[in-house]
Amino acid sequence: MKKFITMLLVCVMVLGLFAGCGNGSTQQTTAATTAAPAADATEAPAQETEAAPDTIVIMAPPVTGNYLENLKTWANDFHELYPNLTVQVIETSWGDHNDKLSTMAQAGEAPDIAEISSNALGTFVEMGVAIDIAQYMSADRLADYDENALKYLSLEGTTYGLPLYLTIQSIGANKTMMEELGIDVAKIQKEGWTYEEFLDVIKQGTKDGCYGFVFANSGVTASDMLYIFGAGAGLSNTFTPDLKYTMTSENMLTMLSAVEEMTKSGYMPNYGVEAGQRMVMCQTGNAMIFGKAMPLFENNFKKNNAALEANDGTAVENSLPMDYAFLPVPTMDGCAESCYGTVDGLIAMRNKNTTDEHLKNVLLFMDYICSGERIATCMNELYLDPVCQSGRDALVLEEGRDADNLATAARCIAMVQAPPEGVTTEMTATAKKLMDEQIVPKFQLLLAGETTAQEVYDHICEAAYAAFGADNCVSGKLG
Amino acid sequence: MNSTKLKRQQTGRRLKFTNDDLWGYIFIAAAMIIFCVFTLYPVFSAIYTSFFNYKPFGSEFVGLKNYADTLKYSKFNLFYKAALNTLIYTVIVVPLSLLLSFSIAVMIMPFKKKTQSVFKAMYYLPGIASGVALSVVWLWLYDSSPDGIFNRLLGIFGIPAQNWLSSTKTSMLSLIIMALLSSHGVRIITYIAALLGIDNSYFEAAELDGATFFQKVRYIVWPLVKPTTLFLLVTGVIGSFQVFMNAYMMTGGGPDNSTTMIGLLIYNNAFVYGKYGLACAQAILLAIAIAIMSLFQFRLMGVDVEY
Amino acid sequence: MATTGLYSQHLHNRKVLYLRNTIIAIILIILAAATLFPICYMILSAFGPNVSTAGNMRTILPSRLTLESFDAFFHFSDYSLRWILNSFIVASGAVIGNVIFASMAGYAFAKIRFKGSSFLFGLILVAMMIPYQVTQVPLYILMVQKFSMTNTYAAMILPSLCTAYNIFLCKQFFSGLPTPLIESAKIEGCNQFQIFIKIILPLSKTVLAVMAINTFMSSWNDFFWPFLVTNDPAMYTIQVGLKQFKFANETLFAPMMAGATISALPMFVMFFALQKYFMEGVTIGAVKG
Repeated sequence: MKKFITMLLVCVMVLGLFAGCGNGSTQQTTAATTAAPAADATEAPAQETEAAPDTIVIMAPPVTGNYLENLKTWANDFHELYPNLTVQVIETSWGDHNDKLSTMAQAGEAPDIAEISSNALGTFVEMGVAIDIAQYMSADRLADYDENALKYLSLEGTTYGLPLYLTIQSIGANKTMMEELGIDVAKIQKEGWTYEEFLDVIKQGTKDGCYGFVFANSGVTASDMLYIFGAGAGLSNTFTPDLKYTMTSENMLTMLSAVEEMTKSGYMPNYGVEAGQRMVMCQTGNAMIFGKAMPLFENNFKKNNAALEANDGTAVENSLPMDYAFLPVPTMDGCAESCYGTVDGLIAMRNKNTTDEHLKNVLLFMDYICSGERIATCMNELYLDPVCQSGRDALVLEEGRDADNLATAARCIAMVQAPPEGVTTEMTATAKKLMDEQIVPKFQLLLAGETTAQEVYDHICEAAYAAFGADNCVSGKLG
Repeated sequence: MNSTKLKRQQTGRRLKFTNDDLWGYIFIAAAMIIFCVFTLYPVFSAIYTSFFNYKPFGSEFVGLKNYADTLKYSKFNLFYKAALNTLIYTVIVVPLSLLLSFSIAVMIMPFKKKTQSVFKAMYYLPGIASGVALSVVWLWLYDSSPDGIFNRLLGIFGIPAQNWLSSTKTSMLSLIIMALLSSHGVRIITYIAALLGIDNSYFEAAELDGATFFQKVRYIVWPLVKPTTLFLLVTGVIGSFQVFMNAYMMTGGGPDNSTTMIGLLIYNNAFVYGKYGLACAQAILLAIAIAIMSLFQFRLMGVDVEY
Repeated sequence: MATTGLYSQHLHNRKVLYLRNTIIAIILIILAAATLFPICYMILSAFGPNVSTAGNMRTILPSRLTLESFDAFFHFSDYSLRWILNSFIVASGAVIGNVIFASMAGYAFAKIRFKGSSFLFGLILVAMMIPYQVTQVPLYILMVQKFSMTNTYAAMILPSLCTAYNIFLCKQFFSGLPTPLIESAKIEGCNQFQIFIKIILPLSKTVLAVMAINTFMSSWNDFFWPFLVTNDPAMYTIQVGLKQFKFANETLFAPMMAGATISALPMFVMFFALQKYFMEGVTIGAVKG
C-alpha cells in the first residue's frame, strides 16, 4: 500500500511536469508571434525587396584571435547587403566548441551554420543533422572553392559544407641553428628530404642540453605524430581509391619502425612531451626541429624576437633570437613526398526552423564569409593560402613574410591528398573508432618504449581485420 | 523507539494519512518538484533513449541492442577494460581519500580557533583555483622531462626520472595521486562539521576510564561520525565511478587505454562518435553497478546508524 | 569548545603539549603545501607580465611584478565585471535554494516517518548515479526547447536549486540529532514546522554553512552548463568568460589567471564570513535532558 501511494505521488508529479512543459511551449509560441511583428516593424523601412525576414544563426570558436570580432563585422555588412536577413553569432570557446555543438545537435537545436573540423563531419552526418548544401547554392558559386578542399567536407558524394581553410601540419625548425651547422635549409624546403637525411640532421643537432628533434606526443597528441609521419610514409589517407583500409599496409610498419628508431636514438626525448612545451624547447635552444608545426608559427618567432629586442619581459623565458623555418615532412622508403592536412569548414545544420527557403539564406551567408576578402583576412592571420579563387584574388599578403616559408607552405598545400570518393559514413566511423581506440593507444605505448613496432603493427592488423575483414585491408606495400 | 511507529503498530495498517505523513510531504514538496523536473525527468529520458538508435530527427527503436553491443565481449571492446580501470581507481582512491580527510580533520582539532581557521582555509580555498591553473600546474608537476617537479623531487633521492603520464606503469598512479591531493577540501570541512557535533561528555566519560587518544578516536569519534563517513563514502564512490575530467584533461585515456574510464567512454560515445543511445545504455549499466555498490555500503556501514 | 576532550591527554604538561602540537602542525603544513600549490601559481602568474601560452610559465615567481595582466583582463571584454556579477547571482541563487529546500527535505527524510520516505530517498540516490554526460542532453532540451530559457539566470540556477547531494548531506547530519529532543517538543505542542525552525535550524548552523560554501563553490566553478545555456556574452558566468582567453594556437595565460584571481575574491569573503559557523560546536548536550 505504502508503495502504491508513493507511486501515485510520483505519477502526479510527472504529470505536473508535463503540464509544466505544455505551458512552457505555449508561452514560447506566443513569444514568437509577438516577436515577429516587432522584427517586421524595425526592418520595414529598409525592406525594399519582397523577401521575407529571416534570422541565420552561426556558431564558431575563435579560429584566429580576431575571428569572432571580424565575424560580427561581416554579419553587419551582410545585413546591409540583404536587409531582410539578420545574422546571430554564437561565440564559443576553443576546445569546448565541439561539446556544445554535439549537445545542441542532439537536442535538435543545432545552429544553422557551425564551424567543424573535417574529422568530425562523419558524426554529424550519422546523426542526420548535416545538410547537402549543393541544392541550396548556385553551381558557379560552389565552383569557386577548390575541389580538393571540398572533398574533405563530403561523404558518399554529398557535400555538407564550405571550407574555411586547409591547414597543413608538419615540422618546424630553428633555422638559425640549422644554418650554423651548415645544413642547406633552403634546399630541404624546396626539394624535400628523405628520412635518412632527416635522421642525419637531427643527429648533428643533438648536443649537450639540446635535442635534434622534439615532438609533442603526450596523451591524445600522439596521433599528430602518427598522421604527420604517416604522410611521409605514403599513408596520407585511411582508404585507397578502391576503398581498402591502408593502415594495415607495410608502409605502416615502415613508419612505426622509424618512430621506434627515433625514440631509441637519443636524438629526441624518450619521454612524453606536452603540447605547450615543444615550441618553447625550440625557442630556448633545447631542441632544433620540433613538431607538430604550422606555417603560422613564424609569427610567434617574430613576436618573440621583437620582445627580446625590446626586453620588456614578455618574451619566452631564457629564449634566444632565431628565425623559423617551416619544413616538409621527410619521406620514407621511396614514397612520394606528401603532407598531412585537414580542412576546417562551416557546415549547414538541420534544426526545427529548417525550411528550403531558410537554407538558401543560410548558404548565402555561409558563402559570403567563406570567400573573397573575408577569407583572405582570415588566411593572412593564419599564414595559409585561401582554398577558393575569390579568396586568392582578394589576398594582399602582409609585409615581412618569409619568402621561403611561404613557398614551402604553398608547395605542401599542393601535396595534400584529399580523401577518396565513395567512402561511406559507416566506414569513416569505424576507421575513426579504430584509430582512437586501438591504433593511437598502441602508438603511445611505442613512444613510451614499452613495445616494438612489429607488435604494434600486428595489433593494428588484427583489430583492422576484425573491423573491416581481411579482404578490405591492404596487405603489402601501397601504390 | 519512535512513538509514531509504536502507534502504527497498535492500530495496524491504515489507509489514512497520519499527521507525520502530511508534514513529511510538505517538507519534501519543493525539493521533490525541483528534483522531478530537473533530475528525474532527464534520468528517465536517458533510460528511454538507451533503447533507441538515437537521432535528433527520427530515432529508431532497437530494443536491447545498445546493451548487447556494450556487453558483447571482444578483445577490442573497451568497455571491460574501462570498467576494470574505473574499479581499480575507485577501490584505491575512495578509502584512501576518506582516511586522509578524516586524519587531517582530526589533526586540525587540537589548535586554537585562529590556528584552526588558518588550516581550514589552507585546505579548503585551493578549491577556488581555476580549472586551467589546476591543469597547467598538474601537467607541470607530472612533466616527464628531468625538469618536471616530481622528477626533480625523485632526483633528490637518486630515483631516475619517470615518464609519468606517458607510461602505462605510472599513468594510473599519477591520476590517483592527483585525485588524493587536489580535492579533499570539501571532505575535510564536512568531517570537521561532524567532529564539532560530538558532545564533550563522551570524552569526559572515556577519560575516567583512562582511554588513550587512539582509543577515543577508535571507539568514540569514528562511530559517531559514521553518518558522515557513509555520506562521503557513497558520494565518493558515485563520483569516482563517474570520474571523467581528470582522465579527459590529463591523459585522454592513454597510454594504451590504461586510464580510459567508463565516464570517458560514455563521453566519447555521446559527443565524439554521436552514438547517444549507446552512451545512455552504458550510463545505465554504470548506474546499476554504482547502485549495487551503494547498497553494499549501506549494509556495511548502516547497521548502527539510525534513520 | 566541544571537542577539546579528544585532545585532553597532555593538557597538564606544557612541554609535551607544545611538542605534540608542533609535530601535528608540521604534518598539516606539508600536506597543505601540495594543496596550495596551484592557487599560489595562479595568483603569482596573475601579477606577472602579460605573457601568452602557459608553456612559458615554468617558474613560480614571475620575472617581475606588474598589474598589466589585470589591465588586460578588464580590457578584454566589455563584460568582464558583469561575468563576475553573473556568477555571483547564479551561485547565490543556488545557495539560497539549497539551504532552504535541501535542509527541509533532509530533515523530513531523517526525522519524519512518512509513507514512501525510503522509496523517495532511494529514488534521489539512484538519480545521482546516472552520469551527467547523458542527462545534460534531455536537460538541455527541457530548458531550451520546452521552457525557452536560453540566456536567463533561471536556466543556470534551476537545475542546481536543490541537489540530491545536499539532500543526502542534510539527511545524514540530521539523523545524528537526538530524536527525544523532537519528541519532547511535540509533546509540548510544537508542530513539525515549529520544531524545524526553533530547534533543528539553530542546531544546524555548521552543516548549513558547510552546505552553503560547498554549493557556492561548485556553482561558481561550474563551466559546462552555463556555457551550454548562454549565447550572449552579457550573460556569461566568469568560468565561461575565462575560456574566451583561449584561442586555437595561443592562450592569453596571464590575463586569464588575473581573471581567475579576481573571481576568487568573493569566495574568500564567503569563506571567512561563514567561518565562525564552523567554529560553533553544537551544544546538544545541554538540551538533551
